[in-house]
Order: sequence, then structure tokens, then C-alpha cells
Amino acid sequence: MLEFRQVHKTYATPQGPLTVLGGIDLRLGAGESLALMGESGSGKSTLLHLAAGLDRPDAGEVEVAGKVISSLNDPARARLRRETLGLVFQQFHLVPSLNVRDNLRLQARLARRDDIEWAGHLIERLGLAGLETRYPEQLSGGQQQRLAIGRALAPRPALLLADEPTGNLDETSAGEVLSLLLALVSEAGSALLVVTHSPQVAAPLDRCLRLTHGQLVPAYTREKA
Amino acid sequence: MSYEKCCRTQAVVVHGLATLLSHYRRHPGQLAMLLLGLWVASALWSGVQAINASARDSYARAEALFTTGLDRLERRDGQALTLNDYLRLRRAGLPVSPLLEGHLEAPDGTRLTVIGIDPFTLPGDSPFATAGSTGELTDFLTPPWQTRLAPDTLTALGVMDRRARGAGPRLADGRRLPPLVLAPSLPPDTLVMDIAAAAVLLDSGERLSRMVAAPDSLAEAPEGLVLTRAATLVSPGQLTESFHLNLTAMALLALVVGLFIVQAALGLALEQRLAMLRTLRALGVSGRSLVGLLTLELLLLGLVGALAGIVSGVWLARLLLPDVAATLGSLYGAGVTAELNLPWHYWVGGVAVTLGGLFLAGAGVLWRAARLSVLGLGQSQAWRAGFRRQLRFMRLAGALVALAGLALWAWLARQPPGEGLLAGFGLMAALLLASALWLSPLLAALLAGLEKLAHRRPLTQWALADLQLQLPRLSLAMMALLIALSANLGVSSMVGGFRLTFLDWLDQRLVADLYLRPPAERFEEIDAWLAERAEVAERLPTRRTEATLLEVEREGLTRELALPTSLYGITPGKALMPSWPLLATLAGREAAWQAFREGEAFINEQLAISEGLAPGDRLILGAPQGREGVTVAAVYPDYGNTRGEVLLATPQLTSRFGAPPGSIGIVLTAGTDDAALGQALTRRFGLGGDSLVDQREVKRIATGIFERTFTITRALSALTLGVAALALLASLLAQARERRRRLAPLWALGVPRAQLIGVQLGQLGGAAFVTGALAIPLGIVLALGLVEVINVAAFGWRLPLFLFPEEILLTLATAVAVALLATALPAITLWRTPPRALLAEEANS
Amino acid sequence: MNVTKRVATILVLLWVAGCEGERSDSGPGEPAGFAGLGEEAGDFAQAHAGIELRFPEDHGAHPDYRIEWWYLTANLEDEQGEPLGVQWTLFRQAVTPPEARPEPTPWAADQLWMAHMAVSRGETHRVAERFARSHSADERNDRGGQAGVQAQPFQAWIDDWQLASRVEAPEADTFERLTLTSHHADEQGGFGYDLRLAADGPLVRHGENGFSQKSADGQGSMYYSQPFWHIEGSVTLDGETRAVSGRGWLDREWSSQLLGPEQRGWDWFSLHLADGHKLMAFQLRGGGEDGGDYRSGSWITPRGDATALAPDELRMTPLDTREATGREVPIRWRLEVPRVDLDLIVEAPHAERWMDTSVPYWEGEVIAFDPASGEALGEGYLEMTGY
Repeated sequence: MLEFRQVHKTYATPQGPLTVLGGIDLRLGAGESLALMGESGSGKSTLLHLAAGLDRPDAGEVEVAGKVISSLNDPARARLRRETLGLVFQQFHLVPSLNVRDNLRLQARLARRDDIEWAGHLIERLGLAGLETRYPEQLSGGQQQRLAIGRALAPRPALLLADEPTGNLDETSAGEVLSLLLALVSEAGSALLVVTHSPQVAAPLDRCLRLTHGQLVPAYTREKA
Repeated sequence: MSYEKCCRTQAVVVHGLATLLSHYRRHPGQLAMLLLGLWVASALWSGVQAINASARDSYARAEALFTTGLDRLERRDGQALTLNDYLRLRRAGLPVSPLLEGHLEAPDGTRLTVIGIDPFTLPGDSPFATAGSTGELTDFLTPPWQTRLAPDTLTALGVMDRRARGAGPRLADGRRLPPLVLAPSLPPDTLVMDIAAAAVLLDSGERLSRMVAAPDSLAEAPEGLVLTRAATLVSPGQLTESFHLNLTAMALLALVVGLFIVQAALGLALEQRLAMLRTLRALGVSGRSLVGLLTLELLLLGLVGALAGIVSGVWLARLLLPDVAATLGSLYGAGVTAELNLPWHYWVGGVAVTLGGLFLAGAGVLWRAARLSVLGLGQSQAWRAGFRRQLRFMRLAGALVALAGLALWAWLARQPPGEGLLAGFGLMAALLLASALWLSPLLAALLAGLEKLAHRRPLTQWALADLQLQLPRLSLAMMALLIALSANLGVSSMVGGFRLTFLDWLDQRLVADLYLRPPAERFEEIDAWLAERAEVAERLPTRRTEATLLEVEREGLTRELALPTSLYGITPGKALMPSWPLLATLAGREAAWQAFREGEAFINEQLAISEGLAPGDRLILGAPQGREGVTVAAVYPDYGNTRGEVLLATPQLTSRFGAPPGSIGIVLTAGTDDAALGQALTRRFGLGGDSLVDQREVKRIATGIFERTFTITRALSALTLGVAALALLASLLAQARERRRRLAPLWALGVPRAQLIGVQLGQLGGAAFVTGALAIPLGIVLALGLVEVINVAAFGWRLPLFLFPEEILLTLATAVAVALLATALPAITLWRTPPRALLAEEANS
Repeated sequence: MNVTKRVATILVLLWVAGCEGERSDSGPGEPAGFAGLGEEAGDFAQAHAGIELRFPEDHGAHPDYRIEWWYLTANLEDEQGEPLGVQWTLFRQAVTPPEARPEPTPWAADQLWMAHMAVSRGETHRVAERFARSHSADERNDRGGQAGVQAQPFQAWIDDWQLASRVEAPEADTFERLTLTSHHADEQGGFGYDLRLAADGPLVRHGENGFSQKSADGQGSMYYSQPFWHIEGSVTLDGETRAVSGRGWLDREWSSQLLGPEQRGWDWFSLHLADGHKLMAFQLRGGGEDGGDYRSGSWITPRGDATALAPDELRMTPLDTREATGREVPIRWRLEVPRVDLDLIVEAPHAERWMDTSVPYWEGEVIAFDPASGEALGEGYLEMTGY
């Protein structure tokens, strides 16, 4: 589903070049889940951005759903994102001009995969029923994050990428949101890559890798039940 | 105030202000936009005011000249008065003064008016003393005499040194003027000297231009002379008032549009500083101090903007003034100097108007800052409701303004015709403002409706929803665009329609091939000679004189008047009658001309409108032999004339009103060469070049005059459109960052950048298209108002309304082009921003 | 009265401007003498002793001299015996010396004319002023320029104001019987007069056979008078016309430098005494011996024989001043001529006789009486300048 092959990424900083990813190899199969941990600034968000085609590697290849995303042009990458990927951001990034229902279905509709039943199911499961005509700024933080998750899952993406999906939430709602996310991911049959610094978030996932000094080190692997 | 308190206040002011202004260091674009708005608003306004001030100064000087405000005497038979006529009247005890007026050409081609006076007999209230009290009278009276002139006339004479007293510069023909003495109160391009010196320069012998007398010092005109009372002469200031009102209205429009930019910028700057303001409040700056600090900030910015604006305004005025001066000169005969002459109150006024406008625009910001809650609870959720409230307010205000406009209209409808120029402009302003206020609610409703329709197209739906969200920011710029577009369309319709009508009218009026103005004493002789020539098909002699309209009788009611009116005599011949345009007749053209030949009159539209006259009414005019009555047989259009005129058959005018000989229109038989006849006339009678004009020349001159008349109007309306485009661009630039932040998630969701840019262009282009489409009917209504209300009130004639489809399409295209252009810059930035930076902005937000 | 006020500024300048560059030592910009009459004569003809007066030629204008006047004052009374005063003056001023005259093109001028007329009765005093230009080489001077003076038959005029002979026969002395006609329209209904003048005596030459010295250093003018006018006619004042009769005095004087540069003004008397004698007396303030006042005059017998009075033969003492149009003027005088045993108090019954003309001065009727008995001894006119 997702494969990194000898991916390098270096940033120019005032203090000189900073190698964030120094030849990363990574494989994530369909339906698999993987947590990626690391200190802040370790490059885990960069890795996520590369996976989403939001950024390009300096060297190496990133393959998503059988396509080498790192060699695609901008429209093709956009299309891949639209149709194959789901993105959940720490900052939610809901569209303020659309209400809950339209926000949730936005990507699905952009990808022409709008499934009303599935969308209704998601709303139900995410506890957003009755709030469909509200606008994002009228929701609580937890509701906004749940909506963001719903938006990412609405097109049933083959791969869901989540960047600190509970980073902006308190502990209780973080737990709730996380279990909801995992449940829905498995319902959708998506593979999942979560970037987090929290062991609690990483714990329930199939695998966990740690990114230090530009290299991936296995934290642990858990066989699927 | 104690020392300690003083120090505390100082600390709050200095650090508070520095904190407030630090925002602009982070967002120089907003500062630039704010200053830009102030600058253009102030520049256009003060530019036009500079033109007005200069022109008024010229009028004041012209009116202060001794030739105005005096009764004038001329010979009834049109011949020149002489020194002996003058002596005869003086010896009879009449307090008349001789005046010699002529023209000389300066080396640079400027036409200079020479006025020769006799200071001993010139009536007392005329400020000769102020015109030249610096010199000693003996020097004025005795060779080499003196030339008194205003400093702004020096350049035409090639004299650079303003202290060049005593210099006697040369004229175009090489002759020398008497030594110069400066007299700043004289009108431009006017030379005043002793009548003896003027007689030598003008080579006029013992001839006089006219005699003048103190107002009402003569009970009646002496035998054989025509007395024109000063009271009946309209001053250039009065004549041109409407023209200047027109300019002022255009400038006000530009000012309002500029202030739209300012308001948008201020609103943005406040919104982005709300957190900062709250922090300042939390840190112990009182709400009142905060408002004071914001006021101080406004004052600082206002001064910078106003000064820059005034400097540019003066520059703009310099650019436009030659055209204005030419227009005023050719339209009203009012001499306006092409050099700027600005009184002190101009500068103060310019700054005051800019600052006043700024505080008006900033009032909302100050109000919000004053009511700012320290905790800022619910602020983030308030905007949607706030915008709804704003739309409600706009609808309501728009309705109120529209009501006021309606009331004005109702009032205007009951005014006598030709009145209410100011109210007319008020009506136009109300119309524009109401439409502008309704624009945002209309756009919002339209977008909401469309959004429902676009349910199946998510990106379109998003675009429509997003545009609604942008509306609060964009609405002011769109309002400015609407106003500028419709004003532009209205003005160009009026100008275009006027040109069509005028050219048509000129063709109808100018039927003769040649126009000859023979010297009065040879009129009969030349006329007789022309009658003999085979190639002359018809002679159309004209005459002109003045009379007082004493009474009008309408529907059996008699009204007394004392209206000075010009009488014009034409020859109702075969060539003239079919083409002479008539607006209204009693019983058809045939009958009207029949009545005209029998001694009845036509009146021009100006007289008909100003006195409410129609065919069939009766006029009583003061004539040399007493009262003469004529019936109005028809009303004719008379574009370009500022006064009422009564038209009579030339023989009638000669016998009943003693009009002096005027010009002869010569209609040639088909296929004859007008140049040959011209040469024959010149050979036979030695007529000078300017006494014979061919028709093409007349048309060329007349068309030139009217082209110039509207140059300024058009230039100003184009500038206003430019300002509106700037307003739109400024609004878009100001929110470019925020826009990118909004677009980033979409991009992340998989919408390609090209599509995102396309959506943006579509959004703005669409909004502009709707605005432009709204501007079309508004512009048409405006054009209608201009020709039906403003024109009638200002000039006294009505124009048919012409619409030019290409102008309308151009307006629409301009609107869309302006919007796309304004979107292009932020779009290019978006295009060139690397995706990572987009995400970085996203992460930083 | 606006006309007067306006031209006033101009004419003061004019009177002052005379000849630039030839200013005397009175300081730059300061007019020498009253109204510039103390300017040096320059290239103009000079009045001096020994010039023979010739009539009728000298009744006419002398354009080669800078200044000249025809100056008539009259003490009249109406049919009710109410006194009236009348003044009519025509001034001539040459703006260029004879050799600097401009070409006589139309309107070109070397002579400027100014005329004053006044009618006074009780507190009422009405004044009018006229101006004109002429060229001394213009043929119209004889027949109808705007202003001019013609010697034979005598006629002096400006516009429709004129003093002209009524004598039909041109070979006779046309100066003996004159008509004076002047009217001025104003807001009060107008004023003016139509008077017939008849001379009851001969012309009187002042000073040294017509040369009247005006200062100790010899400046002076040609000066003769006709003090024996008997006058009848009508005077209009504020629209009301009255038949009048009385006595008049006409002065003729021309000069190119009337005053010395130090002389600031004069006090000038013309008196008709009850016994038939006439007295002309003036003092020029400044310019006398040792900087004192310069006095002169003529004692005229009823037959017209004149005795010139030397400076030390006249005593003139101002006794009382009064305010007239904002200026303090002496209106009560003591006049003493010991040589003919004359001692008079001369007093203006009405102080409001200020001539607010372009060259302002005081000109009004006076009565003379005996200092001891208060017995009325005569009447006349007083002119005071430089106050």
C-alpha cells in the first residue's frame, strides 16, 4: 500500500543542512496499521507529508497504492490524494464555509465516491448526528476532530494518514477519538499511518517505528489478532 | 496635570502607539493599502479642488476688472464709436468713459487682451486703484507708458524674472510693449494700459471699442446708442457654476471610492489586532486610552496620506488644468489661467476633507475598539452572525437612502424646470449609494441560492460557500466597483449621446457653404454685390441684438419679467427651413415657418425651459420704439448656448429692434467652388481672413470645443474606475495570506493547485460579472438622470438618451477584467508558493 | 463721492510725480511743498519779475508752465437774505516739459485738468470733482476737447462745466461779462449753479506788476485777479433752486514752481470790505526769512488800484481752531495791516468746509469784523492748505 525506498530528505537551515530522513525504507500493507513515533522535529511529519505527496523526497521513491507518488506531477498527486488517501491533521483544517454534513462529504464528493449511507453511518458513529447543519466554529474541539476523521474516511481511502490526531484534545476525548478512529479504519478497510509522540496512541496499532537521527528503528511489532 | 500623571500618560501613549504600529511592520501590505486609499482619495479630490480654486480665482479677477460691473454703450448701427462721440457725450455732461479693447499675439502664440482705459473718467467703484496702484500715474499716462499685467501673464511674454519691472517685451510681430508693471489682481492674459498707448499698439486711430459708465448713472441710452446695463451681463462665475459642480461631484465620487479602500484596510487591520488590543486592555490600558491611541494612529496615517494626496492632486491639476481652461474659455468665454493659483484655504481644506473622510471611514473601527471585551468570549464564533447583521443593516440603510432619493425626486418633479442642479446631483448620489448598499445583500442571496443548486458539484459548492465567507471583506471593494462602473457607463452614455445629437444639430444648423462677416459700413454694398453673382444660390443674412423680455403671457396669464435676452435674426430661406431643427411647434413645421416669416418668433429650448414657455405663448420685448409683442411659434434646440434666445426673421429684427448688420450665410449653387468666391470677395473688398469662414471650419471649431468639454469628465470617470480596481486589488492582497490558509486543506484533500486558482478566478470573476451586470441598468438610469435632470439644470437643454451596446459590453468586460487582474496577483503568489510553505503557514496558523 | 475718493489717490500721486529725478532735497518720496507745488521747475517755463501780462492772451492757458488755475469764489445771498458760498476752480497741470511732449496721437496727453466745484449754505457743503486730459498740440483745444481754456472769446470748460463769456462782439473785452454753469448729480438731488458775472472794476495785478513772490528765495507765480464781480443767477442745492445775487472774486495764477520746497501749506484770504476796498493776503507757512512764514498781499482801492504788501507789512494770527472732517483748522484769525490802519477779526461761521477732493484743503466763506466793536466790516473767502 505504502512503500518508502531509500528516501532522503534534507532541509537547509541557518545552521547548515539538516538531514531529516537519511535513506528510509518502509512498507505498509493493505489494512495494516503503523504508528510512527519520534521527538518533535525528528522528521515524522515530513515523512507523513512525503507519503501524502504534499512534499517530494530529495532521493529515493515513495510508492502509494502501486504508484510512485514521488515521480507524479502535481495534478496526478492531487488526484491520488483525493481518491486513495485520507488525511487527518492535528489542526483539523475543516472548511469554515461548509456545514458539518458538507465538510464530512467534501473529499468523497471531490473523489466522486460519495456514499450517502456510509456518510450517514460515519456521522452516527462519530456522534455528530443532529449537528449536520452546524458550521465548524460552532463545534467543540473533540467534535471538530471527529468531523475531520469523518471527512478523511468518507471516501473509504485505501490509506489513512493521521498527524497527531489527538494532539489538540484532552486525555478523555483523545482516548475516545482514537478508539473511534481505529474502529472506523477497520470498518473502511483502510491501511493507517499515524504520526504521534504519544505511546498511548501508538499502543493499539499493529506496528510501531521510531524515527531518530533520520533512521527508522522498530519500537515493537504486534501480530494481528 | 501632575508631573507623575503626565509621565504615566506619556508612557501609555508612546508604548501603546508603538505596539499598535508594530502590526504594520509585520503587515506592510495593510499599511500600504491604507495609505494608498488615502492617497488616491485625497489626490483626486484635491486635484479637482485645485482646478476649481484656480478657476474661481480667475473669475474673481475677471469680475474685479473694471470692464465688468459697468454699463456699456455701443452704437446701434454696429459701427465703431470714436473719440468725437466720446467728447460729444462728455460735453453734454454724460459720465461716460472711453474703453479700447483688442487683441495682440504674444511671441508664444497666446492671445492677449489689451484694454486701454482713461483713468480720469473710469467710474469710481471699479478697482482701478487696486489694479495698478503701485505705479505713479504720470508714468501710466505718458510715454513710454506702462503695461499692467498679472504675474501669470509674464510667461506668455517670455519674461522669466518676476521683478522685471520696466522691461518692455516684444510681441509676436516684433513691436514692443510699454514697460511692465505687475498687478496681481488682473485676469490672466490681460494687459491694461493707458488708452493712448493701447490706441498706438492696436492701431485703432480715434476708434473706440465702447464706452462705459457707472451702473445706472445713465437714465437712458443716448441717441443712436445701445445701453447694456451691467446687471444684465452674467458673470463667468455664475455661468460656470454648474461646470464646477459637475467636477466637484466627480471628485466626491473618487473620494468616496478611495475611502472604501481605507475602510476595508482599517477593518482588516483592526480585526487582525483584536488579540493585541485585548492584550493591551489586559495589561492595563483603559478602553478610552485605546480609542485615543487608535485615533492618534488614524491622525498620523491621515496626515501622511493627505499630504501625499495633495501633492499628487496639485500635480494632477496641473495636468488637467489646460484642458479645463480651454473648455471654460470656449464654452463660457471665461478666461482661466493655465497656471495654478492656490489660496491657503485650499491646502487646509484638502487636509481637512481627507482627515474627515478618514475618521468617517474609521468610525466603525473606533466604535468596535471602544466596546472591545477584555476576555473576548465568543469572538471567534461571532463573525457569521456579525455578517448577517451587517447585511441587514445594509438592506435597511439602502432602503432609507433609496427613500431619500425618492423624496428628492418627488421634490424635483415639482420644481420649476431648469432648477435644482444640486438636488439632481443628490438624487444621483442617493441612487448610487442605495445600489451600492444593496449590492452585498443581493450577492449574498444570489450565492446562497446558487449554492443550493450546485449540490452535485462539491468544488463549485465550496467555491460559492467560500465566496459568501469572503463577502464581508470584498463587499466594500465591490461597492466601489459598482459605483465606478455605473458612473463610467452613465457618463460615457451622456457624452456619446451628446456628441451624436450635437453633430446632427450642427449639420442642420449650418446650411450655408460660407459665412461672411463684413464690416458694418460695407454690409449693404457687399450684400448687393453677392446678390448679383450667379454662383450664389441664396444669401442668409443674420443679425443679433439684445432686448429685455418684459412680459410673458401663457394660457391667458400675464407674468412680468425683466429678463435680458438675446435676439437672433435668421433668413427663413429655401436652404434653411427644411433642415433647421425644431423641438415643438403649435401646428406643424409648415405653419410654424409661415408664422415665423410673418413676424412671429421661435425661442430656444433654454428659454422655454427656464421660463416654462411653449408654442402659442406670447412674449413682450423691450424695443427701441417701445414694447414689441411676438407669439412663440416653435421651440428649437440650441446646444452650447448658455442663455435664452429669441429667434426672428432678420428683416423683422432690423425693422422692429434696430439690430445692427451681422453675418451673411452664402449658399452656393451646386458644383461651385467656395474658394473662388472667397478669393473674389477678398480681392473686391479687401476682406481680412477672419471675416470669411467656410462651413467645415465652423464645424471643426465647434466640435473641438465640445470634445474638450467632456475630456475632463471622462478623465475623471476613468480615474475613478482605476481607483475602484485598486480597491479590489487591495482588498484581495490584504487577505491573500488568509486565503492561502483556507485553500491549503483543500489542496491537501487532493484539489490540484491549477484548479484552486481557477476556482478563485471564477469566484472573483463571477462576483465582478454580477456587479458589472448590475452596473448596467444602474448606469443607464444614471445616464437618464444626467441628460434629463443634470443637463437641463446645468445647461438648460435636454438630450435624447442614447445607449451604446459596445459601451455596455465594455463595462461588463472591464468589471470582469478588473476582478481577474486583481485576483491574478494573489493567484500568482499561490501558484509560486511551494507546497511545503503552504503547509508551514497551515501549521503556524 | 466714490469717484473722488478713488481718483484722489491717483491725483495726489500725479501732482506729486511732476518730474522724476529732479527732486529737491526734501527727501526721496516726500512731495516738496504742498501737493508737490514746491517741485523744481526743471525744463518748464519760469515765472519771474518783469514778465509783462498781456490780455486777452493771458486769460487763456499757459501749457509751458507746470501749473495754472482759474479760481472763482463768490459770497452770495438768496432772496431771503440767507448767505450762500460758491466755488469753481479749473486746474491745469502739465505732465511733461514742453520739449518732452508726446506725439499728438489720439488720446495722448501732456496736459491734465482737474476741476472742483462747491456750494455751501449753513452747515451744508457739497463738493464735486472732474478730471480730463488734453494735448497742447491738439486742434480740438479750441473747439471742443474734454477740457480747455480759450482766451478770446473767453471760455474755460471741463465736460459740461464751464465759465464762458457772454459778450457777443468778439472785438470787445470778452472777460468782462461771464456765465458760470456747473451742475453735479448726486444722491441728495444734485447741486450746481447758473450764474451771470459782470465786472464792476478792472483786473488787478498782484506783486510786482503781476509777478507774485511766494518765498524769500524768490520763488513765485504770475498772479492777477478780477475781484469786482457782481453776480446774479440761481444756485441749486440738494435739488432746491434759489435765485441769488452777490459778489465774486476770480484769481488767475500760473507758475512752474509755486512754493519753496520747505513750504508746507498756505492760508489765503480774499476779502470784500464794506467800504469798497478789497484785501488779498496770504501766508506761506515755512520758506520765509530764517525759516519763518512768508506773507504777502495786495490792498486794493474801490477803483482797483493795488498796493503790494511786503512780508513785514502783514500780521496774520490764528486765534481759534475747529475740527473739520477730522482735521484741526484755524477758523478765527486776526488780520492786521498797520500801513493802512486795518485790524480785523476774520472768522468762518461754519467750519465744515473741508474739500475732500483728491488734493484736500479747506475752502469756505468768512466774515470780517472789528475786534473792538464787533461791527461787521466785510466778507470773503478763506483757503487753507496743508492741514
